[in-house]
Amino acid sequence: MKMNNNHPFHLVDYSPWPFTGAIGVLTLMTGMIKWFHNFNFNLIIMGYIITLLTAYQWWRDISREGTYQGKHTIVVNKGLRWGMILFIISEIFFFISFFWAFFHSSLSPNIEIGSMWPPSSITPFNPFQIPLLNTIILISYGVTVTWAHHSLMENNFSQTKQSLFLTILLGFYFTILQAYEYIEAPFTIADSIYGSTFFMATGFHGIHVMIGTLFLLTCYIRHLNNHFSKNHHFGFEAAAWYWHFVDVVWLFLYISIYWWGN
Amino acid sequence: MLLKSLYGVSRFGVRFYRKLIDPLDLLTGIEKRELLAHLAGDCDPFRILSIKKGPGTRERPNLIPSSNSSRLICCHCTESDNHLKFMWLHQGDPKRCGCGYWFELCPIAPL
Repeated sequence: MKMNNNHPFHLVDYSPWPFTGAIGVLTLMTGMIKWFHNFNFNLIIMGYIITLLTAYQWWRDISREGTYQGKHTIVVNKGLRWGMILFIISEIFFFISFFWAFFHSSLSPNIEIGSMWPPSSITPFNPFQIPLLNTIILISYGVTVTWAHHSLMENNFSQTKQSLFLTILLGFYFTILQAYEYIEAPFTIADSIYGSTFFMATGFHGIHVMIGTLFLLTCYIRHLNNHFSKNHHFGFEAAAWYWHFVDVVWLFLYISIYWWGN
Repeated sequence: MLLKSLYGVSRFGVRFYRKLIDPLDLLTGIEKRELLAHLAGDCDPFRILSIKKGPGTRERPNLIPSSNSSRLICCHCTESDNHLKFMWLHQGDPKRCGCGYWFELCPIAPL
């Protein structure tokens, strides 16, 4: 049967990255066990290196396929959009589990923690100090990323560059402030269920902020290298969607854990 | 270097701003050919959207475009049907569906 590929779908070329990714996460998980039980970092560091290298090269290949090979037709673009939406929905469910744990513990506090929330002898953060500043930062970076998107659609290279840079800066500022809060916190993750729910929820949120910042930084570098046009810039849109998701999760965190939970 | 930095500079009010690369210029490969086909007025450059059946007789079969020597097609025999009839169509071999409509493969150049 003679085969000509007269279709808009992207049949990907052979790639080692799914395999190396699997090896990487296996090494990461085994390394984590070795770290916990034998206090040894070697395997987990190797796991991180393999996973990070895989992620970098896999996503680099996707950028190459879209930008330099022109494989991202309209249907492929739609598929990528659905993929990103479904991934963000799965992340929403991931955070729902931490919020469930928080509300389960805080709505009906156990007698062991004093039948009160916050538990006795826990001094929570004042929600109107650094957490409020963080909220303002996050809302601002929602504005700057929307500014960047509109600049892109209006064919304005300079303003896209400026607004994207500002967004990344605000992301870094949030991370630095949260790191300071973590260092100065009067309680730790080991301090009753309060500490556990607080640091699990805000910790995973912080990781997501770092990932979002890295994603936008990648978009910034791609923008400087003229990968985007005013019509086709899905990489940026995916980063912006992820950024808005991270913003919304923080708002829920702030209202329920920082404010109501105080 | 100075001339390169002035690439695509435009004026918006009293401010100068640099433009992004022209979309058609930036595109390449099959994505570009798809967009050019759309701009030329062809909303189905890959011929994958469904076709309304014509007379479908043996003398005037429904022509199915394909750049391969075989294509898998399906016939929605009547509007009230809840299933599709699938069949392979091969080059130079017109086929008849159970509902009576004829189909023939028509070679086209790939995009």
